[in-house]
Amino acid sequence: MSAPAPTGSLLRTRHLEFTVVGVLLVLLTVIFPLCNAHGLLSDFTITLWGKYLCYALLAISVDLLWGYTGLLSLGQALFFSLGGYMFGMYLMLQIGMLGSYAKAGQNPAGLPDFMVFLGHTFLPLFWRPFNSFGFAALMVFLVPGLVALIFGFLAFRSRIKGVYFSILTQALTYGAALMFFRNDFTMGGNNGFTDFKFILGHSLVEPDTGPATMRGLFVASALALLLVCLFCHWLNGTKFGLVRQAIRDGENRVLFSGYATANFKLFVFVVAAFIAAVGGALFVPQAGIINPDQMTPDKSIEAVVWVAVGGRGTLIGPIIGAITINALRSWATQAYPDSWLIILGLIFLLVVLFLPGGIVSLPGKLKALRGHKGKPAEPAATRA
Amino acid sequence: MSHPILTVEDVSKTYDGFKAISDLNFYLFEGELRTVIGPNGAGKSTFFDLITGRAKPDKGRIEFGPPSAPGHDLTALSEYEINRLGIGRKFQTPSVYVEHTVWDNLVLSLKGPRGVFASLFKRQNSTDRDRIAELLKLIRLDAKSNWKAGLLAHGEKQWLEIGMLLAQDPKVLLVDEPAAGMSDEETHRTGELLISLAGRHSIVVIEHDMTFVKQIARDNPVTVLHQGHVLCEGKFEEVQANPKVREVYLGRGKHGTR
Amino acid sequence: MVWKLFRPLLLCTLGVCVGLLANVRAMAAPETARATIVRAILTTDDAQKRAIINSLIGQGDEAIREVFTAWRQDNLYVYSAPGGAKVPVELTGDKDAAGTQAAVRVDTGEPLKDAAGQPLRLVAKQLTAVEHDAGLRRAMKNVVDLLDLGSPLPAKRLRAVQTIGFAQKADKLPALEARAGLETDTEIKKELKEAIALIHLADSDDGVKIKALAELQELHNSSSYDLINALKVKAETGGKPAVVAAANAALVAIENHRSVVKFFGTLFRGLSAGSVLLVVALGLAITFGLMGVINMAHGEMITVGAYATYITQNVFGEGMHFTLPFIKVAIHLPGLHLTGWAYQLYFVAAIPVGFLSAALVGIALERSVIRFLYRRPLESLLATFGVSLILQQLFKLTFGSNNVNVDSPVYLSSNWTVFDVTFDWNRVFVIGFAAVIVFGVWLALTKTPLGLLIRCVMQNRMMASCMGVRTERVNMLTFGLGSGLAGLAGVFVTQLGTVGPSMGQEYIVDSFMTVVVGGVGSIFGTVVSALGIGLADQSLQQILLNPVLGKILVLLAIILFLQWRPTGLFAARSRSLD
Repeated sequence: MSAPAPTGSLLRTRHLEFTVVGVLLVLLTVIFPLCNAHGLLSDFTITLWGKYLCYALLAISVDLLWGYTGLLSLGQALFFSLGGYMFGMYLMLQIGMLGSYAKAGQNPAGLPDFMVFLGHTFLPLFWRPFNSFGFAALMVFLVPGLVALIFGFLAFRSRIKGVYFSILTQALTYGAALMFFRNDFTMGGNNGFTDFKFILGHSLVEPDTGPATMRGLFVASALALLLVCLFCHWLNGTKFGLVRQAIRDGENRVLFSGYATANFKLFVFVVAAFIAAVGGALFVPQAGIINPDQMTPDKSIEAVVWVAVGGRGTLIGPIIGAITINALRSWATQAYPDSWLIILGLIFLLVVLFLPGGIVSLPGKLKALRGHKGKPAEPAATRA
Repeated sequence: MSHPILTVEDVSKTYDGFKAISDLNFYLFEGELRTVIGPNGAGKSTFFDLITGRAKPDKGRIEFGPPSAPGHDLTALSEYEINRLGIGRKFQTPSVYVEHTVWDNLVLSLKGPRGVFASLFKRQNSTDRDRIAELLKLIRLDAKSNWKAGLLAHGEKQWLEIGMLLAQDPKVLLVDEPAAGMSDEETHRTGELLISLAGRHSIVVIEHDMTFVKQIARDNPVTVLHQGHVLCEGKFEEVQANPKVREVYLGRGKHGTR
Repeated sequence: MVWKLFRPLLLCTLGVCVGLLANVRAMAAPETARATIVRAILTTDDAQKRAIINSLIGQGDEAIREVFTAWRQDNLYVYSAPGGAKVPVELTGDKDAAGTQAAVRVDTGEPLKDAAGQPLRLVAKQLTAVEHDAGLRRAMKNVVDLLDLGSPLPAKRLRAVQTIGFAQKADKLPALEARAGLETDTEIKKELKEAIALIHLADSDDGVKIKALAELQELHNSSSYDLINALKVKAETGGKPAVVAAANAALVAIENHRSVVKFFGTLFRGLSAGSVLLVVALGLAITFGLMGVINMAHGEMITVGAYATYITQNVFGEGMHFTLPFIKVAIHLPGLHLTGWAYQLYFVAAIPVGFLSAALVGIALERSVIRFLYRRPLESLLATFGVSLILQQLFKLTFGSNNVNVDSPVYLSSNWTVFDVTFDWNRVFVIGFAAVIVFGVWLALTKTPLGLLIRCVMQNRMMASCMGVRTERVNMLTFGLGSGLAGLAGVFVTQLGTVGPSMGQEYIVDSFMTVVVGGVGSIFGTVVSALGIGLADQSLQQILLNPVLGKILVLLAIILFLQWRPTGLFAARSRSLD
């Protein structure tokens, strides 16, 4: 008893979960692209699943905050979109002389089309460095990270928490969306960025080379997801993970143990912003568009629902949730376009009311229904 | 004993017009074990809130410092900063991390760096684990180290919180009603523990249970709080004999409506 | 030439004049404008003609414009009646096959009739045309220009004075001065002063200019700003420091006046925007502040109120029918076919209808969803967001995705102007009604048994339940009250904004912020913060001339405000650990 792995049972389930996630992701990274290359999976499916994986990153960022730290952020769609916009700026500049204005000979400077439409004759200064992939990639982290850092610093310093934090992040997202909707913000107004042609010299649209690029993006998304899962798994095993969960369950008590909870929350908030931003950056070339509609508070709440549906406070829950709901959306918006929002709304309701643990908790519930006692290692069962 | 480790001077605190603490003066000396008693609403818990930074006084001075070093103004610090200075608190209602295991509760409380990056990269070493195991024995929860703290009985939670307090190894321990929910035997053991800690630590105990108070205040001073200020201070017998104290405790029927 | 041509008429004309002069009794009654014009037409001496025409200055008879127009367009002729009398007529209408046109007597404006009383049709070529030269035309134009000065309608007079003033023609001065002596309307008097001063601005004498500038400074009317500024620029280049100084003083006075008007206008608009926010947020202050429920479908309660107004309007009018989605039940609401005032009263009827329908939807929501989530505020947020999505889609499927049209009743669609500040009635109404609602809610919460129950259940549900309070019922009614208030807000916003399936979303973020800033649980805080945010929003819009930027700044300001007071303006404090 001198030095046991003190959280044995919990640790075991965590390792199990991580193994499942890891194996699945590795398979996804390898098998999907292989099948696609050999014509077993359509290009459409690969792009669709690539987007699902990006949504899964967004969902993990929500879960990191809500599931693990107890911070319900309604601003994750903002960070997702900011990442997307930063990378989108690079993609816009890659279009160059292939835009429709340039083809018509009305765009000698090779500006993005929306700028020509708005009467710009030269590229705004802050756009120029985005010709470089490296710079854009850096900004994908820096801009959302900075927004999260500043906002988080202010919010956590004044101990805004619970519902108030949700409302404030919602307001932040709302304000940012209003800003991006404006044309004079030179970020494409309500049409946003679209019509991308190239990424790192590889075509996104050519019939012969485009699918390979998309496959590459799929692999990149799967790898990003895998890395993020690795990171989260590692984080769960550190003392940081313990403090984070303690903050979720009783923040005031943590303060009296000498932890500056604001710093911990700020760290998680910024990391979550990074994760969402990476998801957004990978999403944009695969979706082919980014506009302020992606940035509204509604989108954030939707991502929260993916997490709720999948099962919060788990690693695999958000991934399952994001993929399930989005696959359902792909199908339902075709089959029942009028009812999709109603279906989505009902899922919100039903999950919150009847399945707070999400899909992940289903096996346990079923087991309990069949009369099994809980796992013997779980003291809960012994005592209750 | 010339310089107090904790100085509370002319402190007042009002909650929505209710004077919880008024012109309170209180000095705690190094190694002292002080018991604070007083009827309900005397401001005992508010007193701890003010010291630990949960509440800020409307006026007055609260300073902490070992006699040698310059004092820290506690009114300007936040809860975690005060805790890091070496002031630990056990709450009236046991406050443990209910979703964490007993072991993890202690890990979280163990003395050591409290920063974000330290918590990310510092691994537990064998000294830490030995210390936790030792504490678990002391609070008699070594068999339940894998239990979620929320599943413990009330008295066990009290012990766990005492263990968490000890894990921090603070200079000053503020202990709010440690005996509530404990059996007589456990209460006695708690008293023994506190007495053994005195000397190395400075301790303030708030308690209602007079048997317990009698046990720990055998030859230690007692402070009586009434309506937010110190009614009297002295040895247990002296305090017990004080007519004012008797009136406050026995004549409470008059103010019973509050 | 003209002179020669008219010479034969001279004698006759003189004869008529003598005849007129002889008729002393007729002269006692004022000569009509038409008669004066006839006199002018029949006069042969040009100077005298001009004098007669000029004598019309200051008169407001619309006939003058009509006849002068006809004159200048060569439609006036002199008809020699069988008796030898010369009758000036206007030929109007199309020519018929014989080339004849209808003839109207200039002196009466009536058709020209023969002895038998039948209207005469005349051929232009057979008559003597009434000539006009440049001098006459100028005189006529002058009369017409000043015509409105004498108009019996004050609004017309006002406009005429302004137009004349801005033209800065010195020749109009006598007319203005004459009018100034006669005018009784104070506003027009002021305007006359301004017009005279403006004309003096164009004077070549600097002394006159400076005097005029002093006058304008005193009047500090916004409309003269540009003219003064132009003068100032000219004076600067011309090196006339005294004029520049006077102009500057006048400009400053105008600017000051402008900013005062702007200030009060902004104050008023801010107050009305704040009142809308207040009514919306008040419902939320109850459901969120008192009950701790995050109702993301609160915006949809507003929409319910707005659509209830729309339906009420249609029932008062022609009736309407729509189909409920999914269950495919066609609902036909017969119209009352009311018109006029009875129809206009639909809005009054919509107020209770809006309140009750939203309250009912709210109660249904509370019974079916929210009562399970009282201890899980974050999850009530998610569940009610689902409800919000469902409701929005249902509205879309029922009423279409386009905005519907809700008329403004006449009693809400006008405005008052007081000291240059415009007060729209709908906004005044919203402010007044918000005050009534706040007072009503305050009464309901503090002076009624239900209010006592609400407050006690909200403070401690468990304890209240132990004391025998039927908490379930109180919860239901409280939520109904909060939702009903949102419905009331919906009735109002039909008068200020658009009505569509997603309209509620516009208000939800703002109203949550309002409650947070005010301090959760404090109705009074909500009132203060709603008015504060409304004012801040409107002022920033005025300062930045950009509504979106203003909104973003307000959001930023709120975030910073919460740094200073994390629990809002008026927060209830608690001593528990969480």
